[in-house]
Amino acid sequence: MNGWTLAGTSFLASAVEAVEALTIVLAVGVTRSWPVALRGAAFALLVLALIVVLFGPLLRLVPIDQLKLVVGIVLTLFGLSWLRKAILRFAGRKALKNEQAAFDREVSALRAAHEAQADQIGLITSFKGVLIEGLEVAIIVVTFGAASTAALGWSAAGAAAAVLLVVVLGLALKQPASRVPENAMKFVVGIMLTSFGTFWTGEGLGIAWWGDDLSLLLLAAFYLAVSTALVAAARVRGGVPA
Amino acid sequence: MNLAAIWEFIAGDSRRAPLAVALALIVAVALLHSGAPSGVVAMTFPAIIALGLGAAVFESR
Repeated sequence: MNGWTLAGTSFLASAVEAVEALTIVLAVGVTRSWPVALRGAAFALLVLALIVVLFGPLLRLVPIDQLKLVVGIVLTLFGLSWLRKAILRFAGRKALKNEQAAFDREVSALRAAHEAQADQIGLITSFKGVLIEGLEVAIIVVTFGAASTAALGWSAAGAAAAVLLVVVLGLALKQPASRVPENAMKFVVGIMLTSFGTFWTGEGLGIAWWGDDLSLLLLAAFYLAVSTALVAAARVRGGVPA
Repeated sequence: MNLAAIWEFIAGDSRRAPLAVALALIVAVALLHSGAPSGVVAMTFPAIIALGLGAAVFESR
């Protein structure tokens, strides 16, 4: 499996979630204090890193065919979930994520908190925000890394690079990253996860894919075509937003 | 630990997409056991998943 593909998918998935987590950390930082916001985020990142370090190597104790099957099914389900949401958003049947609105909501909630408990609430908000947004990424990194130590290294590096980039940008701008094309990134990640998932599930079942890893590209092209057609069909059909 | 919450975390709020994945698995296993050419299984498997995605997009919840 190409390390750059793993790292790239992991990078995009992490970047999307990091943007969402950043909104919450910024809200805490602006409303309460930066040490509180950063402490909460750092604790959560530590927990996420522990999940990757503990569960990554543990998964490799499972026989490879069973592992591919289970990991493949999980990735396919994850991918379909991301892709469905992205398709509905592109088709206008689900509201696009608005980081500025999410930021404003968090700020209002934090300002309403009682002064005596405000720092504690800020710490918990920052911790929970980063943990919840990062959990999906941790699972993706762990499942990607199930194949080998090198694969775990590639996927973890992709995730770390994305988090670093988003954190640096966020701290420099000190405002929600509302101009990041989150939905387009989710669409691409959805296609990649579904392709990886299909490929690995197939390998676990014993399907001999044409051209081995090259089939991944064909699967990605196939799901891209299907998803693009579904965006158009959902736009035409319209109806009640999901 | 709430299993429903874990399931929703992994599979999202669609019911049709996971059903399609389950169907794709059953059909692929059946085809492989019946000795169908691997190429046929390799095309059928993602096709069922794609149909599931289509069904999930138009799922009203």
